[in-house]
Amino acid sequence: METTLAQLSITEAAKKLKAKEITSLDLARACLIEIQKRNTSLNAYLEVFADAEAQAKAADARRAQDEKEKKESHPLLGIPLAIKDNILIEGRIASAASKMLEHYVASYDATVIKKLKAAGVVFLGRTNMDEFAMGGSTENSAFGPTRNPLDEGRVPGGSSGGSAAAVAGHLALGALGTDTGGSIREPASFCGLVGLKPTYGAVSRFGAIAMGSSLDQIGPLTKSVEDAEIIFNTLRGIDPLDSTTIGEGEYAARPRRKRVGVPRHLLKEGVDADVLAQFDLVLTKLQTQGYELVDVELPSAGLALAVYYIIMPAESSTNLARYDSIRYGLSLKGKDLTEDYAKSRAAGFGPEVRRRIILGTYVLSAGYYDAYYGKAGLARQKLTDEVTRALETVDAIVVPTAPCPATKIGEKSDPLSMYLMDIFTVTANLTGNPALSVPMGTVTREGKTLPVGIQLTAAHGDEAALFELGKKIQNLG
Amino acid sequence: MISREDIEGLAALARLQLSDQEVESLQTDVSSILEYVGQVSSLEVSASGPIAPAHHNIMRDDTPRAAEDQLAGKEEAIRAAFPKREGDYNAVRKILQKDE
Repeated sequence: METTLAQLSITEAAKKLKAKEITSLDLARACLIEIQKRNTSLNAYLEVFADAEAQAKAADARRAQDEKEKKESHPLLGIPLAIKDNILIEGRIASAASKMLEHYVASYDATVIKKLKAAGVVFLGRTNMDEFAMGGSTENSAFGPTRNPLDEGRVPGGSSGGSAAAVAGHLALGALGTDTGGSIREPASFCGLVGLKPTYGAVSRFGAIAMGSSLDQIGPLTKSVEDAEIIFNTLRGIDPLDSTTIGEGEYAARPRRKRVGVPRHLLKEGVDADVLAQFDLVLTKLQTQGYELVDVELPSAGLALAVYYIIMPAESSTNLARYDSIRYGLSLKGKDLTEDYAKSRAAGFGPEVRRRIILGTYVLSAGYYDAYYGKAGLARQKLTDEVTRALETVDAIVVPTAPCPATKIGEKSDPLSMYLMDIFTVTANLTGNPALSVPMGTVTREGKTLPVGIQLTAAHGDEAALFELGKKIQNLG
Repeated sequence: MISREDIEGLAALARLQLSDQEVESLQTDVSSILEYVGQVSSLEVSASGPIAPAHHNIMRDDTPRAAEDQLAGKEEAIRAAFPKREGDYNAVRKILQKDE
């Protein structure tokens, strides 16, 4: 592939924009050319916005104005980004890749969009995803699967697979995703990108289509750790419209110890041997950089996936109760009101969404509540305490982001085997800790070189530790 | 395995119309998922009783939106999404029917 401006990282592009070597319009056009070439086969974007060039021109005008006023331009001014289809942009469709919201036009901006607009970002389009963010492969979209740009026979991961494919295929310089159980980090691992799930509450979810409200976070998918940091710093902060948001001072600053925790007991089985070999290689290199490796024990981590697949469906089924065909979204008529609901929801929701609604309804039913949801809540607290304790002595806990590289389209057909892909990512959502996936090398499958990621988890509010260690790993070579 | 009646009961509670075939496949899927997540029952809760939940509700006053937030002035856009609109109203079916 010839080099194009679309291959630049955000940091590199911002530098060139500042030096007036390129314009925002050049950048947007470079991405649009790649979109033209590859989106039909990748299906990364569900919609490319017709006014992308106009937005870029406006960004260029704003840069000229900033210069006239001797104002420092925002590092994201004029940067073309892709937005996951479950984040609301006023006046544009936000479908969550569901028939339920296929024609739903957002009536307001999500807070993250408001912030990106203020920074002067160019929105290229909305990206494909697993329907309502339920899945780990982007095969559950009502509008067809997304393909991995590094091997089109494979999935890009999910649920933010369209965002990941857009960035990895150079159809955007960066993207926003959402992460409820790994939906930013797993696609980052599968597509060779950096993906951040911020601390619970660090970024407002107002205007993001809710899945599991005690788990959801919005975060960036980017080509470098520096890029993820720029986007995170733009998005973070208290929002009166999301009462779970926290300020920067919520958690006390922590000293760096140059110590990395490795929960070896979790890696004894279930991880592909070559993925583990890459992981160990990175750890060895970190040691030569002066990092000390410490064994950490998370005795309840073995229960994390079970806990997650109780809490998430419980919260999702509750959140999805709002799709009642009455106020917005798909609306079908039955013989009475109850049938209106049941018909619209059956036609609007795909099979995985229906499955999780049934599961969530089950675990919340009287008689099962204590055994499932009640127990899961206790286990979640125990796990949180264990992670917090482990992080008292180390800067970050590291594991492979996923047990394997990108799987083939159609390979994981039964739901439980698909859920097992989330084994290492769900913990950070349950405990609220920030977690970052960074590329850690490649493995080979059927002659194809596929990337794999390493996941770093830091203490609440300590994204800085993730960026610091993430840059170290990124630059190990 | 979870019974057909159980799945149908849950579907009714969740307001979901399911085909016979889907009820059957859900019996299998939901049973195997429940078997897996049932591991949580192995958790030993300390004798001191349940741990207090970390999450709690944050309430706010029910006051009109501040002019600077992004929802201000969006009433018409919200009304435009109504499946059945009559003037400024969202026209809905009667919920309580008179006895005949």
